[in-house]
Amino acid sequence: MAYNITTWKDIKNYQTACYRGYLFASEGLRCMGSTWSPLAPLKGLGEDIHLIGGEPHSASAAGTFPEETRENIIAAETAGLGFHSCSYLKLFVGEVVRDKIGITDGTIKEGFPKPDVIWTTHLCSQHSKWYQEVSRRMGGVPLYAIDMVGGGNAEKDPKIVNYVSNQIEAGIDWLERVTGREFNDELFAKAVRNEIKVLVLWGNICALNMHSPAPLDERRLIALFPPAVVDRTTDESVQLYETLFKEVKKMVETGESVAPDQRFRIVYFGIAHTYGHPEMARILRDVGAEIVASVYTFGTCGNFKGIVNGEWTWEPIDPQWVDELDLSTRRKAITELAKIVLGWPTWQGVRSYWALESMARAMVAEYKADGLLLAPSRSCETDFRNGYIAMQRIFKDKIPTIEYDTDQVDVRKMDLPGAQRKTELFVQLMEAHKKGGGDK
Amino acid sequence: MTEKGPNTIIGRFRSIAENSHEYAKSLKKKGQLLAGYMCTHVPEEILYAAGIVPVRILSSHESQAMTRGYIHETYCSFSHDCAYQTLKGNFDYLDLIVTSSSCIHMGEAFNTSVRFAGFQEKSYLIQYPHIIHTKPAGEFMTESFRQFKEFIEKFIGTPITDEKIEKAIKVYNTNRRLLKRLWEFLGSDKPPVTGPEVAAVTLASQMMDKQECNEMLEQLIKKLEAEPGKAPSEVRLMVTGGACDDLGIFDLIENLSYSTSLIFIDSCTAARYFWFEIPEDKPDKLKALAEGYISKIPCPAKDNVPGTGEKKRFRFIQQFIEDFKPDGTIFLYQRFCSPQPMDVVALKPVFDKLGIPSIELELDTTIPITQFRTQLDAFIEIIKGVHLE
Repeated sequence: MAYNITTWKDIKNYQTACYRGYLFASEGLRCMGSTWSPLAPLKGLGEDIHLIGGEPHSASAAGTFPEETRENIIAAETAGLGFHSCSYLKLFVGEVVRDKIGITDGTIKEGFPKPDVIWTTHLCSQHSKWYQEVSRRMGGVPLYAIDMVGGGNAEKDPKIVNYVSNQIEAGIDWLERVTGREFNDELFAKAVRNEIKVLVLWGNICALNMHSPAPLDERRLIALFPPAVVDRTTDESVQLYETLFKEVKKMVETGESVAPDQRFRIVYFGIAHTYGHPEMARILRDVGAEIVASVYTFGTCGNFKGIVNGEWTWEPIDPQWVDELDLSTRRKAITELAKIVLGWPTWQGVRSYWALESMARAMVAEYKADGLLLAPSRSCETDFRNGYIAMQRIFKDKIPTIEYDTDQVDVRKMDLPGAQRKTELFVQLMEAHKKGGGDK
Repeated sequence: MTEKGPNTIIGRFRSIAENSHEYAKSLKKKGQLLAGYMCTHVPEEILYAAGIVPVRILSSHESQAMTRGYIHETYCSFSHDCAYQTLKGNFDYLDLIVTSSSCIHMGEAFNTSVRFAGFQEKSYLIQYPHIIHTKPAGEFMTESFRQFKEFIEKFIGTPITDEKIEKAIKVYNTNRRLLKRLWEFLGSDKPPVTGPEVAAVTLASQMMDKQECNEMLEQLIKKLEAEPGKAPSEVRLMVTGGACDDLGIFDLIENLSYSTSLIFIDSCTAARYFWFEIPEDKPDKLKALAEGYISKIPCPAKDNVPGTGEKKRFRFIQQFIEDFKPDGTIFLYQRFCSPQPMDVVALKPVFDKLGIPSIELELDTTIPITQFRTQLDAFIEIIKGVHLE
């Protein structure tokens, strides 16, 4: 019988509370930006900081309001953004253009609240331009973008760690200047430890899926990691993920799963695609196939051991390691934060194809995959096609591998029937492969 | 020495721009080491100091489908075309390919070349900041350039001395000054040279041995300075946008139904390639290189001043408007380019405020000349205030 996650409601409530805080706060600071940013520096400004992050907000808004999403994307295009541009970006800018915002509890608020600061990162060619455009449209919001020049084993390269740390340090001075608030190092260190702890805990939760049956499926993984993306700096977020970790560990001990029928274990590479994903999941579930590991749900906001002796591993980091980190000075705290953020698997693949391949090999081996499902997004330029081509070549003689095009939130860009047919074929290939007669 | 007229020299430049492989192969025949570079953020001076001639990898404008299997169709045609050329073997004569971490699309062209076109063992990716306006970025660049220098030293088996780098800096700075001088003609009342000619010379310079290029440029400028110049055209047009190595579009701009002049091009294949200098005679040569490259007109993919989010390139554009006085602007960029249209959205109101009309044209592998001509003719009619009866 399928297991129901008891922590589920608390986690979703936390996510909603964060968004409501940003929308309706009458006091404090509103901060906007990519949640692929180190968030703890913002928390050094006080205990009344309300965050909204572009990617998780766009993803959850698309899931909650499909019609609004289409309107928002069209509004952004009408305002001049390209059809091919990142659809997360367009959904978000579209909300700003239409001056209304929808959040996960179904609330649509007229009047997009203007942030006090934009604190973000820059990685792909659109990442910080997203917030430049929002800033411009909102009349010039102070903006600080941290250059994430990562890739490969960036978190272990002192040159890169130092570069990112220097930017964060300068950014803290900037935050003090633009907000007029004094930076509190104690609050900052606490937020850093929480942020690192949540990232490590999520890595541990994902790693439990190496067991058979995998306790969590992709649908649950997609829903459970966004709160960590939205705000991972609070005591509450740590408690939530500690509770979830205990619960999932218990599931492993008792052999339970949210999707117990797992004849086929699938590794997935690609961004979650709001419209198509449930359709594909249904096709897979009908034959007892489950996505048990995905670089997107694992690696967007989770840390693992990463590259060890030149090869990637999805082995988790001991959470106790976080408790022992020396964060006694601002610089030490910044450096640890820079390292953990640079260590995210999603960075590695963006700038380094060899890391992407190494991650894929490790994920297929460590999660004992029966099939590899590749779903590059058409409007995410960091979702490299040639990475997927390489993966097809690597695995073509090993396990069934299928690729279909998706888009994260723009239904116009997805060939849904084609993707469904490919997924059905994928299922048949896995079936045949299991019987020993399939052509991979 | 044979007397050379400006048209002959310009003809030679244009020929190199349009037949870059032949030119590069002629250097190769002489035993010259060649490195292909995919982005103008590559510090060519380090290569040149090592005795390697940097040759820019540009597109071929051949219709093809080969790269669709390697690169998303929503990547720009320029990146597809460059990757196509390496896959097809057109750049097999190169000893090395180099790029800097810049826009994602060209990064993908580089990845494709490295993984699938046989450059795995002869390639180098320079870690380059994505936001260039900070002190940490300068330090990071200096260190990246040091690592790149060490790689090249290993590659050629000889140390690259400070003297050699200084010499290369001076050769390259001379080239930049000469190109700038050439472009300044276009801002004059009676330019002795046209925009398309200047564009061709600039493009050729990106594939040439800079010593040879400088000699040709000096001769050309000397001749042009003696020329009386031509009467100004009715409508002066400026181009701003991304990489464009298709000279046909520039020819078209000066061959419309109305009298027009192309007076400036803000792109990485034109002014952004050379509109900066490296500080000379500095004790730390790599730091000087970093300082110089930071002062470049920023590529839109890297343009975000921390703290304000300002796009620094806009300051340069406003200066160019003041110096070159365009009547209209053409936003010209590769279809599917990510950063360029994001800048156009913000840049258009700047031009509107200055009363300078603008039009957007998206480039693809081949140029739809007829459609562009109609669009540009209509654009000129707007500028001239022509009303159809």
